[in-house]
Amino acid sequence: MELNKSHASNMFQKNVRKFLRNKLAMIGMVVMLIILLMCVFAPVFTSYRADQPDFSARTQPPNLPHILGTDKLGRDVFSRILYGGRYSILIGVTGAFFGSLIGVILGAIAGYFGKLIDSAIVRLSEIFQTVPNMILILILGAVFGRSIGNLLFIFAITGWMTTFRIVRNEFIALKGETYVQVCEAFGMSKIDIMFKQILPNVMSPVIVATTVNVAHFILSEAGLSFIGVGVPSATPTWGNILNAAKSLDVISNYWWLWVVPGVVITVFVLAVNFFGDGLRDVLDPKQQ
Amino acid sequence: MLKFILKKLIQMIPMLLFISFLVFGALQLTGIDPVSYIATPDMAANQENLDLLRERLGLNQPFLIRYFNWVGDILRGNFGYSITNGTPIGVLIAQRLPATIELALISMVVSAVLGISIGIVSAIYQNSPIDYLGRFFAVLGQAIPQFFFGICLIQIFSIKLGWLPSSGRYSTYATPLRHFILPCLTLTLSLTSVLMRYSRNNMLGVLNSDYIKTARMKGISETKVYVKHAFRNAMRPVLVILCFRLPMLISGSVVIESVYNWPGIGSVITDAVIAGDYPVVMVTTLMVAASILIASFLVDVLTALLDPRVRLGEE
Repeated sequence: MELNKSHASNMFQKNVRKFLRNKLAMIGMVVMLIILLMCVFAPVFTSYRADQPDFSARTQPPNLPHILGTDKLGRDVFSRILYGGRYSILIGVTGAFFGSLIGVILGAIAGYFGKLIDSAIVRLSEIFQTVPNMILILILGAVFGRSIGNLLFIFAITGWMTTFRIVRNEFIALKGETYVQVCEAFGMSKIDIMFKQILPNVMSPVIVATTVNVAHFILSEAGLSFIGVGVPSATPTWGNILNAAKSLDVISNYWWLWVVPGVVITVFVLAVNFFGDGLRDVLDPKQQ
Repeated sequence: MLKFILKKLIQMIPMLLFISFLVFGALQLTGIDPVSYIATPDMAANQENLDLLRERLGLNQPFLIRYFNWVGDILRGNFGYSITNGTPIGVLIAQRLPATIELALISMVVSAVLGISIGIVSAIYQNSPIDYLGRFFAVLGQAIPQFFFGICLIQIFSIKLGWLPSSGRYSTYATPLRHFILPCLTLTLSLTSVLMRYSRNNMLGVLNSDYIKTARMKGISETKVYVKHAFRNAMRPVLVILCFRLPMLISGSVVIESVYNWPGIGSVITDAVIAGDYPVVMVTTLMVAASILIASFLVDVLTALLDPRVRLGEE
């Protein structure tokens, strides 16, 4: 037991060192943390409120008091991006986490037990997969009203299928392995076999998929809000800020209104992806 | 194999029924009274007339009977009417669906070819400049919001350079091909990067596995190792991803149709969502779901062809 523990902590130290040596992953993590912290502590970095119109300072290009300019209502773009980031990041992370959680649990159950349970869950996943998110958002929006909570709920229940299919396929491939049969012969409980013995071998593609999903949901929110069916437009999310750039007038005359939020989304999603790739390199036993 | 295909085909029927039931149920949940859109104002004041109209349209029958009537209507090709302008939905779909299918299908083929080949080349020449360049574009392509990329393209190629039109599908000043380039490029970008990332990762995983080492040890030529041994196994998860990203292609085309004013089914859905035109939303959803089901059926068959374990495991 003692030996086991020190081995595990060695592995952990080795993994941390390996991650620290991965430059892209480190850059990704640092950029991600900087943007995250600036959004969380937004009041420290800007004295403007996100929803404070100033009609004497409309569509100003970047200048000293407004370092990223102002929009058509004279609201400070920099502070809108910081406060908007809070919502966008929260939506992405929470949606991806719950999506993966559902995917892992259902995938493990379906792959391990097989037969009827498997085909029932696979059918369910195929149904969810065939109805585009957009429609669920509309229906829930019509019944409960458009809100961030509903959007999160929709992301979680529409975002589990990728993880599900990965986990299920791996479980089907792995459950015939000798070590699983040995565990079964020892009389280990099914839950222990599924989540303690098989699951760790499946986690690396799940982590890659979850990272992809964080990025994907941030982009989804932006896209949905951009066309006007996502988060209510009073909430300053990154997508809602870009919504202002729908006219050719804005595109050609007020570049800071669409280039700045677009670049911020891109940089943040890029950072998340680099971080996820770094994690994969560390966690994937096949690469060690 | 034939048995597998037949089984998959038969499985699609209850799923379509279930989806259509969900769609119809949701339509009922919104609590819209269709009569209020049909009746003229002078008729609407008279309750007896309204009841008569309801009776004649079969609206006072139980939920299940109305559902089966609705399904029957759709099977006979009667999709109902838009409540905002009274256009038959069938006409709307016939007008707009081809534009979206053209955009989605060509983008899918382009990105599958591009993504898979770049991914495999990156994996074979791991850590070479080609690999870094490929990964850079893949990562960037996944990080840029599609509509933002679209706006950038408009700014560069339409406004600054004036080479390509910024919106529409047909016009007097540009050929359909030139209208097609920007939307297709925008839609292709993210799927290409997804496919590239996955095919590279899978190819790497497969190339590190024991059976490939065995094959190499036996002295099989490198080309044969890649084409015969690695490719099939590396492609299986990539096909799964392709199948799962099809709705993404549809969602993507919804956004892109909004950016470029592309007259496809996506802009019909968006307009219907914003205007609260539920019958249109429901029927177009059903259409989209049906086409995704058919596409994922094709991907299933492909997967089974590539991996005997899948079709044997299911029988």
